[in-house]
Amino acid sequence: MPWMDVMADMALAPWLVILPLAGALLAGLWPAAARWWGLLTGLLTLPMALLLALQVHAHGPMVLYLGGWVPPLGIALVADGLASLMLLMTAGVGLAISLYALGYLTGETGGRWFWILWLWLWAAMNALYLSGDVFNLYVTLELVVLASVALVALAGGAAPLVAAMRYLLVSLLGSMAYLMGVALLYGSYGVLDLQGLGAQVALSAAPMLAAALMTVGLMAKSALFPLHVWLPPAHGSAPAPVSAALSALVVKVSFYLMLRLWLTVFPALPLPGLDMLMGALAMGAVLWGGLMALRASRLKQVVAYSTVAQVGYLFLLFPFLRAFPDGWKAVVFFAVAHGVAKAAVFLAAGTLQRAAGHDRLADLGAVMRGRLKTSFALGIAGASLVGLPFTGGFIAKWLLVQTALEAGLWIWVLMVLGGGLLAGAYVFRLLGPAFQPGPADPGQPLPAVMEWVPLALALLTIGLGFAGTPVLSLLTRTLTGGGG
Amino acid sequence: MIRRRFALSPALLMSLALAGLLIVVVLDLPPQPGLAGPVAQAMDQAGVGHPVTAVLLNFRGYDTFLELAVLMLAVLSIWSLGRRDPIPARPVQGPVMHGTLRHLIPVAVVTGGYLVWVGSSDSGGAFQGGAVLGAAGVMLMLSLPREMPMPPALLQRLGLSLGVFAFLAVGTAGLLAGHGFMGYPPAWAYHLILGIELAAAVSIALTLVLLFLGGRSRKVRHDR
Repeated sequence: MPWMDVMADMALAPWLVILPLAGALLAGLWPAAARWWGLLTGLLTLPMALLLALQVHAHGPMVLYLGGWVPPLGIALVADGLASLMLLMTAGVGLAISLYALGYLTGETGGRWFWILWLWLWAAMNALYLSGDVFNLYVTLELVVLASVALVALAGGAAPLVAAMRYLLVSLLGSMAYLMGVALLYGSYGVLDLQGLGAQVALSAAPMLAAALMTVGLMAKSALFPLHVWLPPAHGSAPAPVSAALSALVVKVSFYLMLRLWLTVFPALPLPGLDMLMGALAMGAVLWGGLMALRASRLKQVVAYSTVAQVGYLFLLFPFLRAFPDGWKAVVFFAVAHGVAKAAVFLAAGTLQRAAGHDRLADLGAVMRGRLKTSFALGIAGASLVGLPFTGGFIAKWLLVQTALEAGLWIWVLMVLGGGLLAGAYVFRLLGPAFQPGPADPGQPLPAVMEWVPLALALLTIGLGFAGTPVLSLLTRTLTGGGG
Repeated sequence: MIRRRFALSPALLMSLALAGLLIVVVLDLPPQPGLAGPVAQAMDQAGVGHPVTAVLLNFRGYDTFLELAVLMLAVLSIWSLGRRDPIPARPVQGPVMHGTLRHLIPVAVVTGGYLVWVGSSDSGGAFQGGAVLGAAGVMLMLSLPREMPMPPALLQRLGLSLGVFAFLAVGTAGLLAGHGFMGYPPAWAYHLILGIELAAAVSIALTLVLLFLGGRSRKVRHDR
């Protein structure tokens, strides 16, 4: 196609940072119009991310040297299959969150601040996905942390402030551990570029310690069991669009960074026992998160604990990577499927909470029966979390099981299937009140967008059920330490 | 008693273990020139004479740009938490304080400006200059018996985002002009870098003063 050739000459990647950043600056300058800057940013960023993914799919990974300075001197932006998939997921979920927030935050104090901080968060996430430099990644990570913590605190009141403070401390600890790793790598090899480091890292003490520090730091940020304690209060007490952004996107950001490091910088490092340790923690996360989700009495708490459980699957990355080099792709597909489904569930939960005036699971029946669109969205997205057929979650778990089988790792097959059962139990617990007999009451009047956006995202999880092939083929265009 | 409690603290034990590991590993690091060589080779195209400034504003300008963004976001995050309490009224200061400040503030302004300007050829730059200017601002705030009247909200926001905005504008112009994102035309590099440094110094100074004050002032009407 001729237009594809024209597009290939255009450097799209920087615009995915420039656009949301310009939106964030403008929203900060004119807070009265912040929501419109936010909407405009979302509407422009999604097609841009889609074009970039098409470009990468057609032409392979693109590396851009900022200011024309080639690494090791300068910083590279890397738009490859993995980065463009994350950008696309963020743009899709981000636009949905923005549309939802238009309805959720009408006339409420704090609305403007949501938009300013949310656009900063978006810009920071995009910058992180594209960065090809370990120190630059640290700076973007700091931006992500600051914006996320402020967003958690936005709800006001004692509980959200305590949750935000705890989140800040854990995140800072993670950032510091990461930064120590960066210092050790630079001290050992004198470069900061991911590819340059990947070419040099060899088995010795300094890079081993760096890998351990960076991995543990990012584990804490991804809330892997037992470092998850900060997540349920932070995600459970934030306003609905914020919970969705944190659970669907921000948790994936630190996972993405860890994956990127292990794909490009550390593939030469066989940390002894790392795969078994991570696998055991993953299993702990799936069990503990699932059990806590079964025990929680409030809708948003259940959803937050479900994130703790689902983060566990992401860390199957390590046993899979050890078994064979392509094993990470199934995990990335899982991350995308979980992102879309979790955003749908959190937004639907926000709608129900707003309609009922509370989110006590036991008393939500009437509102769930009265708001069928939202309950339906909750059901479909929940089915994707469980991994029922015709959803993205099904394909994701299928890929996980297939990968585990090919590697002969039976224990992870059992974990994925058992975790699915647990997820089934807590998702049916979420939906249970809707099926009890009783009066139907739509509750408080709400803007229509708050019902349609969760439904659209839920339908997107069904779309993802058919997107396995294109996503995996996009992921083959990923730069790894092996040079291709 | 206290000593025994500390000795058993797992956090302390883990910190000590990590410190030990770090010391062993760092002592074992090979001598590493880092990027001094590549930087020295590229200095003739950097537009400025000082290698640190060349790295911060040109070779790795994107890092500095995002760091300015971190500073700005820190103020925005604090503003999002709420309004600040007014600084409690202080006793009226005697003539010594008055006279000292009358001399010190202009000196700080000149020093800050000089540090920004000299950054292109010697040690200095936007962060150092901005820090001196910010300190002068904090000193002024503390010495006045009453709250100093704040500039209008829009002006505060403009000043706060000046550095990031200038950097983003120049970086995007570089992209459109074919020098790559965050790239300068070599002939203009010096002037563009100096302009960015000046804008950044203003934003950094303002950031420090606003961080010192805490939440947004009562005049910043963000969420009526």
